[in-house]
Amino acid sequence: MDALWVLVPAGQRASGEWIDDTLRARAAEKGLLGRSPRAGEFPRQRVELVRGADPVAAVNRLYQERGWTDGLPIVPPTLGRIDEMVAAGGRDRHASLGEVAPLAGLATVEKIAANAVMAGCEPAYFPVVLAAVEAILDPAFNLRGVQTTDENVAPLLVINGPVAARLGINAAWGALGPGWPANATIGRAVRLVMQNLGGGWPGAVSFAGLGQPGRYTLCLAEREDTPWPQLHVELGYRPDQSTVTLLRAETVINVTGGLEEVASVMGSAASLFGILHSGKPAVVLSPLTARRLHADGWTRAMVREALFTRGRLDAATWRGSWIRTAVRASDWPGWVSAAAAHGSIPAVREPDDITLVVAGADLPIPQHAYCPSWGYPPCRVTRVIPEAGQGP
Amino acid sequence: MLRASAVAERAGVPTASLVCEGFIGQAATTSVGLGLPGLPTALVPGHVDVQSPEELRRNVAAVTVDAVIRNLTEAPAAVAGAVVEPAPGDIVFEGTFDEVNRYFYENDWSDGLPIVPPTPDRVAEFLRFCDRAPDTALGVLLPDKRRATVWNVAVNGVMAGCRPEYMPILVALIEAMADPRYGVEHSGNTPGAETLIILNGPLIKELGFNYEQGALRDGIQANTSIGRFWRLYLRNVAGFLHHRTDKGTFGNTWRVVLAENEDALRRIGWTTIAEDEGVPGGNAVTISRYTGGGVIASVFGNTPDRMLPYLADAIVGKVGWELLFTVGMGVGSQRPLLILSPILAETLARGGLDKSALKRRLFELARIPASKLEKYVGEWTNFMPGRPKLTDLVKAGQIPAVFAESDDPQRLVPLVCRPEDLMVAVSGDPLRTNAYAFAHNGILGYPTTKPVRLPADWSRLLREARAR
Repeated sequence: MDALWVLVPAGQRASGEWIDDTLRARAAEKGLLGRSPRAGEFPRQRVELVRGADPVAAVNRLYQERGWTDGLPIVPPTLGRIDEMVAAGGRDRHASLGEVAPLAGLATVEKIAANAVMAGCEPAYFPVVLAAVEAILDPAFNLRGVQTTDENVAPLLVINGPVAARLGINAAWGALGPGWPANATIGRAVRLVMQNLGGGWPGAVSFAGLGQPGRYTLCLAEREDTPWPQLHVELGYRPDQSTVTLLRAETVINVTGGLEEVASVMGSAASLFGILHSGKPAVVLSPLTARRLHADGWTRAMVREALFTRGRLDAATWRGSWIRTAVRASDWPGWVSAAAAHGSIPAVREPDDITLVVAGADLPIPQHAYCPSWGYPPCRVTRVIPEAGQGP
Repeated sequence: MLRASAVAERAGVPTASLVCEGFIGQAATTSVGLGLPGLPTALVPGHVDVQSPEELRRNVAAVTVDAVIRNLTEAPAAVAGAVVEPAPGDIVFEGTFDEVNRYFYENDWSDGLPIVPPTPDRVAEFLRFCDRAPDTALGVLLPDKRRATVWNVAVNGVMAGCRPEYMPILVALIEAMADPRYGVEHSGNTPGAETLIILNGPLIKELGFNYEQGALRDGIQANTSIGRFWRLYLRNVAGFLHHRTDKGTFGNTWRVVLAENEDALRRIGWTTIAEDEGVPGGNAVTISRYTGGGVIASVFGNTPDRMLPYLADAIVGKVGWELLFTVGMGVGSQRPLLILSPILAETLARGGLDKSALKRRLFELARIPASKLEKYVGEWTNFMPGRPKLTDLVKAGQIPAVFAESDDPQRLVPLVCRPEDLMVAVSGDPLRTNAYAFAHNGILGYPTTKPVRLPADWSRLLREARAR
């Protein structure tokens, strides 16, 4: 028999209640206790001792049955690992970053650390996780909406600045794919925080009909080696600062080709929710394309302008769409109706609503991605990631 | 202040509580204990004490005012529901001694020293020493608003390393803790004063308390473990935790129980502390919070006239900002404590002083210039805004006339309002001429005395306990 001292990673409200009591009731109502047969069954304390011949397996089994994992194995949040994580974050372990919607578990540094350990984060990643959690707790992010909507939206994390290279946050080959610990685990930590502290359990609280793979993780860095200023510099930060920028991504659509092809996808039904909410989508542009455009005298603003001008949805498509009739006419923004009267609707209200990110490999066949947005209010939330030892 | 806001909110009056940055966390946890987890607070950046008027104005205008308006105009978030805690008899953990200790420590139930695991058998043994039912309520304690019961007294007594026969004292202590006069809810305030327990009565000898050499030192089970019990109970039942509900800037370790030398008191005909506090007739505990204290070494002389100036000066030396409790917050609640070794008490008694005469002499001698008292409360600190003059306070009828016998700023004024506000105990090395003085925390831990009730068959139980 061996044993592990682990921290209870579940959400506790300011009043002391555990959100798992609500979750168990909701899961039972929905007949979803098959996923989490032991929901709510845990010692209502900070710490528990898990024994077993293979305690890592025992923790994994317990946590899955209590509904605390995303379905993949987790790293047990042992007290030693949490201490290392907390130390790397540079903030008091009891400090709370706020309540995680919708079930209002407190995002204390220690609880976030537990979920980061479970996600497999290295301690050095923790300042990024903390900044990202701060960003999703910003009221502008509308976490309640993201967690509970029937749409399949997921947080998209874009990392800029020196921290990306230092932590190995991938911006190149397969930046949105598997194989890179920082990309994989930082995004996963944010998801586990949403699930375990906010209560975003699928089917019980989160009503996304289909979900998307980006709900495991959706995190990349921007390429630093293009001639354009980086996203965070465009947003007003210094090049030597590191930032995380949070967007609400309904999905990730691959587009191979040039700006015309990107504009074509933007001017499609993929943008209907974004148009309804005057949202801020992301366009991930291939580095090769960025260099070529720069050589031809293009700036980032010109790219956005071009996508705004060319990426138009035919008014007839809009009028005939399901969402057009499902939503009251008065709920559509004035700029949409005005544009429709002229025959076509841009994918965004104005060019600057497009968040341009340069990432991917240096392939001769340029690959881009379009991430349409979902939800109110239009949002692009950026937080500075403090350098190690500098505090927030 | 949050407590005042809670009262107003309950009466249907919207409130905004201005909270300095360093206290936001404590405000959040404290408001939960007050039963109003959404109690609206308005942040004041930094701490007002170290800001210039311009800085403060800027901070308030930029941050605080908006929050105040929101506090007063928006409905606080509704947060409801009860927290499920382990029931009294629940087995919360099973494991080895080391595992139990780690479990208790990591879950904030221990002070960092090993605890005795509170097993059902051990708790039952403690309960035998109390005639009242285990679920008897002794009060409700802030900040966590948890019920103090005979049962949880026993559990914490086991953990602290007490013996079962200490149980009647432990129960009396928690009755005192729950007495509104004492003010347990202030136990997390920033000066971080610590409670001293004073024990009187035959139990001192029956249970083997130390009341001689090293009276305030750890090392004797009865004195030490009961002192530790007090702090564990504040943690586990009242709910005072580092970095959360506790805002003591420094604090200090819990104090061991001070037992009086009642043989010496009887020899010289002096009253005990419990008798002075109005609880005559045997076993009693007195609790009071002291901001700090120190020894008065080598008191020289064989008459009161030779000895008293030094003792009075020592009390003056201990009491500074605490004068707030004499003339400001809770007028007349400053109760300094002087502990005399038996030989000092006997020498003073031989010089013709009983305890009240001694207090009168000390009241006359332990004085400071009026201007200095005014500095403590109105100039060096901001306890009393507007730098009030003692003469004005006397004129307004707020403090006794003794503080304005003239308007000379250099006139001498006392440290307390009445001679009886001084407390004098007798303990320590019987034949060493040292004393000890404590400055007091006023209404934020006012002296509170409770009799110790023994079970009906105390003698038999005690005999059995000793035989084990």
